[in-house]
Amino acid sequence: MAEGGDVEWELSKENIQPLRRGRAISALHQALSQQQEGHSSATNQQRQAFECELRMYDGEDPLDVWDRYIKWTEQTFPQGGKESNLATLLERAVTRFTDEKKYHEDPRYVHLWIKFAENCPEPLDIYRFMQAQGIGVTQASFYIAWSEEYENQGNCRKADLVFQEGFKKCAEPNDKLLQFHKALQARVSRRAMMDVEEEESDNEPKEPERVSLADLKHRGKKKAIAPVNRTGPAIRSVSGGLQSRGTSILGNASNSRLMIFDETKTQSAGPSEPKLESWMAPPTSRAKENEQRPEKWSDVKIPQKSKFGHTVMAPPPPKPTFQPFVEESDQPPTMTPCKINPAVNTVLSARKPCREETPLKRLQDHHHQQREGEAGKPQEQSMYCKELLLSGAVEFSFEELRAERHFKKTAQESEVRRQRDQANASTAN
Amino acid sequence: MTGSNEYKLNQGPEDSISAVKFSPSTAQFLLVSSWDCTVRLYDVGGNTMRMKYQHTAPVLDCAFYDPTHSWSGGLDSQLKTHDLNTDQDTIVGAHDAPIRCVEYCPEVNVMVTGSWDRSVRLWDPRTPCNAGTFTQPEKVYTLSVAGDRLIVGTAGRRVLVWDLRNMGYVQQRRESSLKYQTRCIRAFPNKQGYVLSSIEGRVAVEYLDPSQEVQKKKYAFKCHRLKEEGIEQVYPVNAISFHSVHNTFATGGSDGFVNIWDPFNKKRLCQFHRYPTSIASLAFNNDGTMLAIASSYMQEKGDISHPEDAIFIRQVTDAETKPKST
Repeated sequence: MAEGGDVEWELSKENIQPLRRGRAISALHQALSQQQEGHSSATNQQRQAFECELRMYDGEDPLDVWDRYIKWTEQTFPQGGKESNLATLLERAVTRFTDEKKYHEDPRYVHLWIKFAENCPEPLDIYRFMQAQGIGVTQASFYIAWSEEYENQGNCRKADLVFQEGFKKCAEPNDKLLQFHKALQARVSRRAMMDVEEEESDNEPKEPERVSLADLKHRGKKKAIAPVNRTGPAIRSVSGGLQSRGTSILGNASNSRLMIFDETKTQSAGPSEPKLESWMAPPTSRAKENEQRPEKWSDVKIPQKSKFGHTVMAPPPPKPTFQPFVEESDQPPTMTPCKINPAVNTVLSARKPCREETPLKRLQDHHHQQREGEAGKPQEQSMYCKELLLSGAVEFSFEELRAERHFKKTAQESEVRRQRDQANASTAN
Repeated sequence: MTGSNEYKLNQGPEDSISAVKFSPSTAQFLLVSSWDCTVRLYDVGGNTMRMKYQHTAPVLDCAFYDPTHSWSGGLDSQLKTHDLNTDQDTIVGAHDAPIRCVEYCPEVNVMVTGSWDRSVRLWDPRTPCNAGTFTQPEKVYTLSVAGDRLIVGTAGRRVLVWDLRNMGYVQQRRESSLKYQTRCIRAFPNKQGYVLSSIEGRVAVEYLDPSQEVQKKKYAFKCHRLKEEGIEQVYPVNAISFHSVHNTFATGGSDGFVNIWDPFNKKRLCQFHRYPTSIASLAFNNDGTMLAIASSYMQEKGDISHPEDAIFIRQVTDAETKPKST
């Protein structure tokens, strides 16, 4: 049983999104085995139960339900994706409590925000929004997440500034903030050292080469998009603190340095030296993917030095002075008119240009609307409990809400009856 | 308030009304399901209750199979059929979650139920037994039968069109053309399309034929909105019922109004007076001379005090229901 689970986990590692807090292995096994037979009614029922709880909760701490629901979702849908509704859920949770000041410094709430930011295409904007709203400004984890984002984008100076801001605000826990700040400083200085060493070691320009298993930087501001160019500066040199200066595997220096085979040297080397496997066949063309592709030369302007010292533009290619001969019988093939059923045609219709709507935009809109609502100028008013129907990741109908109230009431009644029966029985005895 | 062409049914249900359905063959009988766990049969002409039977939990929908058999389901997830002559219950089967809708398809002779367990089940009414379970992408909120086709409206604003003769695949998957939650779907009696109403005062008229020319004809309009002090109050549109002869339809909203629409000329034919509370269900009788109107609060704004639940029977004239030929 346990072995079967292990196999499954081995087979689907790439489908599991990493979590900061890690995953419970039992939950993972369960989720993976369920994944293969499609999501069971048990999962649906559990989700429904959470959704009900979100709506029916009338205690002191509504965030608790959201927190548990989101954690459950993360564990139950290890591959993430649309089905999990995680993005919607985070967005709703975060929006729901934006105006509740009591949660602004709650570590759970701040963590939800950080998760939300990590799911967004522009995390930095979210962090700025948080700061402007005063959410999590005394939480160390907020500054750590923010700084990490800057560092991922290669802006170490800003990353440091974020930490400074955190110190200024006396974010708690302070030692955690200090520890992460030191780690950042260490990484930055290590990189600086490596850069210096590189400059010293190689003076000749080198062909960039891809490094296998290197950590890539995200392209531009967009998150989780690997760059097209996977050499040189695109490689993240801050991964971990394991490699030491001398044996840097990353970076270009080690790649361009060729290992020259020397018979005598190999003989003298001890058995502990790793033996280099010789190629059985020359590398296939597949391996040449980093070669420069042939470019269009007509567009390239090569500055040409003439005798007189000024540049001459390359003359444009002359037009052919002859008419290309075409055989008279060689008519272009006439197109057979192909009638496409318009109904079928719509299947492959072009995607409509959708409005650019980022989660942040929606958030700001929401914020804006609420301000306007306070000003007392809503144009439309929904005559039903809109919040109850639409909170959570799935919608509810009036009947479902009412059914939930009904079940709650009957459960209470049966409980009262049971207690009364017990009391009666004890008095009879 | 009630004129000569309208009267209130006696012995109404003790809790909210979930559905009203007229008998397929006569204008005499009306079936009513309710949150008080009962299904009642009324003699509309005599204004008396003929019969009632119980479920173990609130009943969300009911339907006639033939003039002497009713089917019903609700929060107890059980599907019941009741012989109205002998007053006998049979439990036909069950869903994994409450049953939201019950319909009969005369063309294929099959009962259809939709449930919050994300499935539609078919039932052979003669045996009676289960004739198949068909998974839907979301919780089923409403369904309607158009000839041998089944139109299912689910949570997440999805609409699925199934072919009841071949349930092997979904014939069409659509998204509701309205922005908010689907409340009700009813098919045109001429089987060419359906009307879909949403929770935010809007109704869409859609066609089943996927060809572009036909699809061009679809449209949506706003209704069941009241302007008060410059604020537009938007009410859910809970109920739709088609006039079997004229293909016009009535809509009922939480504003307590009933409107009758002419979908061909895109005109409102008439609006009745305001009923005491939300319109929960509407039903034209078989020849379209009467309209049953269930005025019953559905807890749209929570569990608060509200006017009494009631069923009104209204005589309707051709002037109110027939498209005006121009």
